[in-house]
Amino acid sequence: MSNTVQAKSAAPARRSEPVSVTLEDVRAAIGADVIWCPDLTAPVAGVVAADLMSDVLVDARPGYVLVTGLANVQTIRTAVIADLSAVVFARGKAVPPEVLELARESKVPVFQSQRSLFEAAGRLYATLAGRPAEAGERPET
Amino acid sequence: MTDVEFVRAYEVVGSDFTNAGRASTSIKETLKNMGLASPLIRRIAIASYEAEMNMVMYARRGTMTLHVTPADVTIDVRDEGPGIPDIPRAMQEGYTTATPEMREMGFGAGMGLPNIKRNTDGLVVTSEVNRGTHLVLQVHVG
Repeated sequence: MSNTVQAKSAAPARRSEPVSVTLEDVRAAIGADVIWCPDLTAPVAGVVAADLMSDVLVDARPGYVLVTGLANVQTIRTAVIADLSAVVFARGKAVPPEVLELARESKVPVFQSQRSLFEAAGRLYATLAGRPAEAGERPET
Repeated sequence: MTDVEFVRAYEVVGSDFTNAGRASTSIKETLKNMGLASPLIRRIAIASYEAEMNMVMYARRGTMTLHVTPADVTIDVRDEGPGIPDIPRAMQEGYTTATPEMREMGFGAGMGLPNIKRNTDGLVVTSEVNRGTHLVLQVHVG
């Protein structure tokens, strides 16, 4: 086990490339309201847009933002399980109190956008397409 | 983590969508506290979450037992429920018997068992119709 722990702590040193997209960039790109977010400078690795959480569990990589029209506790639990950086509820979906409570408790930033899932995803794709990282690509399985 | 084996059981209640996913969140937290590598924890958590959602959606109740040794993380998932009549078919992506209510929760797309298989090093599925289903998920640590 000691090797595993060492590898984990050494990982950030190998990934020294600058972070080019933050939660604030995501918020600004789709004009989203901040429902709960303790740190808008937190990095974003990519975006996944879906209403089916099983698809999110397949497609998302750690640090991705989830854009979805599904506003229930499973959305937040999926974000926790898959190490996502934030959840954006599209189509102006109201965020139920129990969802917000779980998000705070689980430290998952939550945004709300009036834009459709299609438009929010399109704008975010354009925002992230300018950088060379893996945004928008389907991860290898 | 020491060489001492760690075992913890989690109860899961069928149709309890409010608490669905709590056991897997707790399993993830436990593994994090043990110092396992993040990518490994993520794979286990995804497999565990899919298995837990399957139980909430289909079974009356079930138990998930987390077993950690220096070599492997194993989750033994056992439920009382309808069982799976055709396991090879259930392993195919997209095959589902989910109801609209299950889909409204964001699950039931026929990705559960395939997702579990994708994220584990070993998966054994046994089932008896009208009795229940037993999964053994294993991920190698070393």
